[in-house]
Amino acid sequence: MSIDEAMPESALQQVEDTGQDTSPEGLPPDVMEITSIEGLAKQLAETSLKAQDNWDKWVRSQAEFENFKRRTEKDLQNAHKYALEKFARELLMVMDSLELGIKASTPGLSEVEKLREGMELTLKQLEAVFEKFGILAIDPLGEKFNPDQHQAMAAQPVENAEPNTVVKVFQKGYSLNDRLLRPAMVVIAQQVGESTYIDQKA
Amino acid sequence: MTKIIGIDLGTTNSCVAILESGKPRVIENSEGARTTPSIIAFTPDNEILVGQSAKRQAVTNPKNTLYAVKRLIGRRFKDTVVQKDIHLVPYKIA
Repeated sequence: MSIDEAMPESALQQVEDTGQDTSPEGLPPDVMEITSIEGLAKQLAETSLKAQDNWDKWVRSQAEFENFKRRTEKDLQNAHKYALEKFARELLMVMDSLELGIKASTPGLSEVEKLREGMELTLKQLEAVFEKFGILAIDPLGEKFNPDQHQAMAAQPVENAEPNTVVKVFQKGYSLNDRLLRPAMVVIAQQVGESTYIDQKA
Repeated sequence: MTKIIGIDLGTTNSCVAILESGKPRVIENSEGARTTPSIIAFTPDNEILVGQSAKRQAVTNPKNTLYAVKRLIGRRFKDTVVQKDIHLVPYKIA
């Protein structure tokens, strides 16, 4: 390699020397020119070979990258399509139970007690599915209002309630693996004089 | 390598995207949403909330929940839009 690198420099030197017309080695300028052109030609051939090599490598890696991108996109699409698969399979049982329940509730023949029992069992099934997949219910009655999980529908002055606590839950919230699916819809107790509160620093 | 980020600061919602190998990609916020409400709230507990959680507590804290402030940015107090907004929004414009 060191010989290859030394080559161009000496060739360049020779070209410069011929430019001065007087050669230090005393060789006629013609001979100098020939050797320098040969050197340059060799250098050019080597460099073009190297360039071609690098070009090939680049084209190959570019193609590889394109393939990788396409494969990743396909994987992602499949993940989107089939991510629900396990969850859906668990839900089928709940669906079956509900259908059986409807079938059993023939008008005039069914007992409310038994229907209720069936519904409770179905609910338990669904709860088990939710639990299995990390879906947690948020029922914040009496807790301190937390805007990360609760949506305030209204603020009411309520006696015997700490200000800024939840006094009524319209609709439970749900979270999935620590990410909020739906906030709980709540009414919170109003702070006395809160309506006049203005943060002067804000 | 330098990264390019683009922010669409909207009046009601904002959205952030980055340029990834020549293509823009919208990035999600911590809640997994691709847009974030352009809302900021200062709570009585000296907490500062932004985005969805600020929106959720707006009813309880209307005077310190600022929304649609993009309408006001760059305008003078005497501007007709600002004067109109003073009567429309629950927070104080001064």
